[in-house]
Amino acid sequence: MKLTIKEVAKCLKLPLSTVERWIRQGRIPIQKSGNNLTFTDSAIEKWAASHNLPFTKPQKDRAPQEGSGLENLLSVMKRGGVFHDVKGDDVPAVLQYAVNKMPTLSASVKIRLYERLLEREHLTSTGIGKGVAIPHPHDPLADVIDKPLIATCFLEKPIDFAAIDDKPVFVMFILISPTIKLHLHLLSRLSYCVRDNAFVEFLRASSDSDAFFSKIADFEKQLDKVDHY
Amino acid sequence: MRIFQSWRYPASWSIFRMDDRLLLVIMAVIVGNCSGLAAVALNRALVAMFEWLHHFRDHWWAFTLPAVGAALSSLFLDKIVKEGAGHGVPEVIYSVSRYGGLLRLRSSISRLISSCLTIGSGGSAGPEAPVVMSGASIGSNIAKFFSLNDRQRVTLVGCGAAGAISAIFNAPIAGMVFAIEVILGEWKALHIIPIAIASVTGTEISRILQGNQIAFSHRQFSIDFTDILACIGLAVLTAAASILLTRLLRSMHSISEKVPAPVWVRAAIGGCAVGIVGIFLPVVMGEGYHWIRIMSEGALAKGLAFVALAALAKIVATSLTLGWGGSGGIFAPCLVIGSLVGVTYHHVLALLWPSVSWVNEGCFALLGMAGLISGILQAPLTGIFLIVEITGGYEVILPLIIVSAISTTLCHWIEPASFYLKDLVDLGHLLRPGTDARVLSDMTVRELIEKDCITVKQNMLLREFVNIVQQSRRNYFPVENEANGHFLGMIHLDDIRPYLFNAVMYDTVLIGQIMDTNVEIVHPDDDLSEILNRMDEQHLFSMPVVANNRFIGLISKATLLDKYRKELMVQTGQ
Repeated sequence: MKLTIKEVAKCLKLPLSTVERWIRQGRIPIQKSGNNLTFTDSAIEKWAASHNLPFTKPQKDRAPQEGSGLENLLSVMKRGGVFHDVKGDDVPAVLQYAVNKMPTLSASVKIRLYERLLEREHLTSTGIGKGVAIPHPHDPLADVIDKPLIATCFLEKPIDFAAIDDKPVFVMFILISPTIKLHLHLLSRLSYCVRDNAFVEFLRASSDSDAFFSKIADFEKQLDKVDHY
Repeated sequence: MRIFQSWRYPASWSIFRMDDRLLLVIMAVIVGNCSGLAAVALNRALVAMFEWLHHFRDHWWAFTLPAVGAALSSLFLDKIVKEGAGHGVPEVIYSVSRYGGLLRLRSSISRLISSCLTIGSGGSAGPEAPVVMSGASIGSNIAKFFSLNDRQRVTLVGCGAAGAISAIFNAPIAGMVFAIEVILGEWKALHIIPIAIASVTGTEISRILQGNQIAFSHRQFSIDFTDILACIGLAVLTAAASILLTRLLRSMHSISEKVPAPVWVRAAIGGCAVGIVGIFLPVVMGEGYHWIRIMSEGALAKGLAFVALAALAKIVATSLTLGWGGSGGIFAPCLVIGSLVGVTYHHVLALLWPSVSWVNEGCFALLGMAGLISGILQAPLTGIFLIVEITGGYEVILPLIIVSAISTTLCHWIEPASFYLKDLVDLGHLLRPGTDARVLSDMTVRELIEKDCITVKQNMLLREFVNIVQQSRRNYFPVENEANGHFLGMIHLDDIRPYLFNAVMYDTVLIGQIMDTNVEIVHPDDDLSEILNRMDEQHLFSMPVVANNRFIGLISKATLLDKYRKELMVQTGQ
């Protein structure tokens, strides 16, 4: 297989100018025919091995970059669904009720999820103030789910969640994700929305899911604008 | 048509494609032939010049002949070919280490003419260094003609030097060793084989044209144990003479530079002084091979005072010729001084222990030559092999090795850099293969630059900047002037840390107020060793690269070390 000088530079993870200098100095095996320079990949690979240099062949079907491939809020929230009038008088009760409502999970997973959520609540409350809580398991549930989801649960009546500002919680976002990275990504976006007082007031006033999703979509746009600075 | 075009690109021929060793061997034959011819030409020219000027030497004004010769040679170098005076070997070494052996075509002829003028008229210098320069330049230009790469060109430069030395002394091993030990400084099979071939060709050319004769034949010696012991003293004496010659040459050079006169006038003054010394001691004139021949045969029937004085006078005359701007090498004068010192030592021995039957004084002349060559060049192998070959005296090898080794060691101890390398070391230009200096000199700032920095504007609010920080992977951000894009300073994550959690500051502080304007900057053409020194001194890990007031990228120690290691592996590997 023939390689171009640019490919060789990429394989060796070196700047083009270094490879060009090595050719000029005669340090790298190359075939010259007139003004054309060609590298044979086997010769280069042998040379790199004898000089202890890292050499990785170009990969055609590279997996897409992870950072940009993280799923965004809106689709995750739609997957999780919106639940109204979640019943219960204390934290375990509302969590139990909400988990049971979640449609996509099997019974055993629901039990495990509930235990994990409760465990996390014992650590510290996930009530982040303004009447909002974001319950989530401490460790990602990688073996159980392959796609993240956020279940939006409007409580029937506000309950005491031991939140940081001691205000009773009226809405919960249950966040489950397969990886820590995804979890942090979604948490960061979600908290950006919740920081906005107007949004919290909107949530308190109305629980219409279409209006809710369109609000989220607006926030996403704002976030993307910042991201692409 | 393609055949006519491809003959200049032999590297693309299918037989040479996988491995260039065969190509280099064939090139070495061509280079060895050419440099051998150059050496023979200079030799013939010197003889012709000597005979032509011979009948002028009886006149009273004969002492001005070296002056005229030196002035002409200096004028020629300065005005016509526009090259510096001196013998040229440091230039070759520097070119090999820095420019992949690139030498000018005119260098292949310029030193031959100038040294012919200097030496033929009676100046005290040798024809070897000019021939080395000439051979090296021939090798370099042949490589350039066939568009070979730097590594191959360096080998051919070595071939040229080896062929020249081999041809002029009829000494193939000495030529080979000289090229590797002094010119290239790198013992690799890849070099050694073509250089050996070039030595053989150069020697053969000279044998065909001038006959196979040993330059300085001598009688049979019978060396006793006492003689071997005595050579330790001789080694000390030759080391002293080497140091004296090196120091005197350098001081003469600095004295002559203070004389407010054109270079050719200075050369004439030096030549004139040599001419005056030559009236009283004709041994100092010219390259002096005739005298070496007499001494190595042990036929110099002169007293201790004469030879001691002659040795000193030759040292002075050589420094006058070369230090004041004449052109020529140090080899031949070293051989003359060495044999004079050897004969002097023999006289001293005979005076102190008259009852011991010392070996013939010719033997000490040989040992003295080896001692001086080894001491001046600090190249013991060159000294040993040269003397063995030019005298055909393998039986003196044991004392020869002792004298060479001790003389080199002593000279190295007193003068850490040899005569050829001293100027290069002073300028920081000695870049032997595989050394730190060489690796750093080969790499450039442009290869190390990292461009994944996000540039920010001076009038940006801290809030915007914090958003940018969120997206970035680096801790350093260059700040530019909004209007003209000029580089203003750097901002580090540490600079904003105090304000990072104070939201009030977000909309009140501008980047221009926080940035560090007093940053050390680097130019793309800066020397890497210098940059590293600056980083070390100021404990910096990265520096911005700025050209024409514009930020180009960042250079960091981590990347530098990574690339440095790769470069070192490539340079030192086979």
